[in-house]
Amino acid sequence: MHDFVVVWSERALLLRGLGNTILLSLAASVAAFALGALVALVLMSSKSVYRRLFAGFVDAMRCVPFLLFAYIVYYGLPSFGLNLDNWSAGLAALTIYNTAYLAEILRGAWLAQPVDPIDAGYAFGFTGLGHFRRIVLPPLLLSAAPVVGNQIIQIVKDSAFLTVIALPELTHAASSIQSRHYVPFAAFITAVLLYWTLCLVIEACVASIGRLAEARR
Amino acid sequence: MSTADILAILQGAVTTASLSGAAILLGLPLGLLLALTRWARVPIVAPLVAVYVSILRATPLVTLLLLLFFALPNIGVPIGAVAAAVLALTMNTSAFNCEVWRAGLMNFPKDQYEAAQSVGMQAGLRLRTIVLPQVVRICLPGLVNEMSLLIKVTPVLAVVGVVDITRAAVRIGAETYEPLPPFFVALAIYVPLVYAIVSLQRLTERRLARAEAE
Amino acid sequence: MNLPPPAAGNGHRPVLTVAALSKAFGCLCVLENINLQVHRGETICLLGPSGSGKSTLLRCINWLEKPDSGQVYLNGERIGVTTGGVLMGDRDLSAIRTRIGMVFQHFALWPHLSVLQNVMAAPVYVQRRPKAQVRAEAEGLLASVGLSDKRDTFPAKLSGGQKQRVGIARALAMRPELLLFDEPTSALDPELVGEVLVVIRKLARDGMTMVVVTHEMDFAREAASRIVFLDRGRVVETARPDKFFVAPATERARQFLQRYESNSTRPTSSDRPQSFP
Repeated sequence: MHDFVVVWSERALLLRGLGNTILLSLAASVAAFALGALVALVLMSSKSVYRRLFAGFVDAMRCVPFLLFAYIVYYGLPSFGLNLDNWSAGLAALTIYNTAYLAEILRGAWLAQPVDPIDAGYAFGFTGLGHFRRIVLPPLLLSAAPVVGNQIIQIVKDSAFLTVIALPELTHAASSIQSRHYVPFAAFITAVLLYWTLCLVIEACVASIGRLAEARR
Repeated sequence: MSTADILAILQGAVTTASLSGAAILLGLPLGLLLALTRWARVPIVAPLVAVYVSILRATPLVTLLLLLFFALPNIGVPIGAVAAAVLALTMNTSAFNCEVWRAGLMNFPKDQYEAAQSVGMQAGLRLRTIVLPQVVRICLPGLVNEMSLLIKVTPVLAVVGVVDITRAAVRIGAETYEPLPPFFVALAIYVPLVYAIVSLQRLTERRLARAEAE
Repeated sequence: MNLPPPAAGNGHRPVLTVAALSKAFGCLCVLENINLQVHRGETICLLGPSGSGKSTLLRCINWLEKPDSGQVYLNGERIGVTTGGVLMGDRDLSAIRTRIGMVFQHFALWPHLSVLQNVMAAPVYVQRRPKAQVRAEAEGLLASVGLSDKRDTFPAKLSGGQKQRVGIARALAMRPELLLFDEPTSALDPELVGEVLVVIRKLARDGMTMVVVTHEMDFAREAASRIVFLDRGRVVETARPDKFFVAPATERARQFLQRYESNSTRPTSSDRPQSFP
């Protein structure tokens, strides 16, 4: 019990760590989503050279452990003259890695869309960006929400790996508290409960999007 | 990079393989047990299992590992790095396996189960002869997928000092001031391994789809 | 009406006694105060419109559904509640269920086992009879339903009629005291119905005690010893088939039969095959 009081006294550090985790995950999610959408477009295009290149990239990322990839970005890039600090390296690794996964997810969601409503859009005179924005995108986003939500949870968990490159996210904060005050149980249990809460919040958002989708099915 | 360095990485590979193997072997039946508890709606235990699985699926493996490694000795349970690593991997994979098994059990056709009840088969016999043989086949792709995910998180063991592939590579890179070559060797071991498991998963999925179509 | 439990040692004791059975799903009352006795060698056909509770009654007999009130007795022994007045556990319930055979509307065969294995599974694993003896008996049963050549085939490769015949053989392999049929032909294409009815009729002739839920009126007329007509969860009329179909006593039964007559454009059972394809 006393241990938890100690953790509470360090709550500023813990909350900063939580904030960094949220910031990192959010930034990586948004960036990976945007880039993943572009990569998905390339994967479905007819220019076979680019398609095969990016398909190879996606397959590679799916076979590589994230931690190893993070190490390569952080320790390996300096060999090419690119010196990144731990924040940039962490964000870059998280983004690039999940771009591949989100590209696959979005490609799958795209292929699963029924063709008729899209053709109907054209038949009614929608074209170009307007067509994409009003006819194609909404059902696509609604159907992809659960899988994308899962991937965002995965991003939050992967962010914890970045503690190894001394990025001050939540696990790093908990680790620091436990090493200074010798309260490992309290510190890490608190971290676990905070991660769980984050996860439940994301799942709740996905569920509410799901309800929106159900009403429109 | 000298041959000694490459050998060090290979040794790390053996460590990775044996620890992953142990976690897979322990996590599969444990996940099934958890799923059966929820499926049979065992009072008190089933909701606890639901909460346990939910927390474990939301917890990053590195956090869980640090928790086990530092906290258990603190409350009187001495545990070494390897044991903590296997425990963390097993707990993690059992939670994800539980959901795969549960999906298979929940979708099991009710009337086959009732037919087993109607000829007087008791619960254990129903499970052994009717439910499990079919559920194992259906859950196989999902379980193999989980195995590939397990391999991909093993580098986390380095955090508590277990010398796996990644830690060996990092150490050599730090010693030789050439971080990239050992990382590439590490990649050369991970990528084919994960790719082999993913291909196995695709194969089982195709076999299953073909069997369903007949 | 609360029937007393049948006396032990009574030579004319009914095989099945259902007393004051009631069952509700939530606030929907499906069965109300059902009383029924089935004697040895009788074939009872449960008839009635959809939603009358026929299938639920059948499933309450072997406690696949738990009745809310009332009693069920198999040859004098109470099903579902022990002599101590406590709800039966899985083991006791399973023991009694070995004495009741059930045939399901959608066959419910076990797809990972061959036809022969489906028939042999329960006698071997539950009754623990010697495998050689069970195999001999199983092969005999498959021969009697006309499926000897399919013994090593898997259910997925069988037609609906063949699957149901396997289902009947599987139930018979347990040497049951009572056979329950839950709409055995409702899921079959019309041309496959006949081959299954042939088997059931033969069982009736051979003196098997059976309760059959069915929509096959011609079959009921020919094979039943007694018709039990249910409507909205109650037993409305019980009569011999020659009386029920010709001059039903109640208005509800009359309406039901009238609707059947006007809907019926299907061939009568005499037009159907009398043997197996």
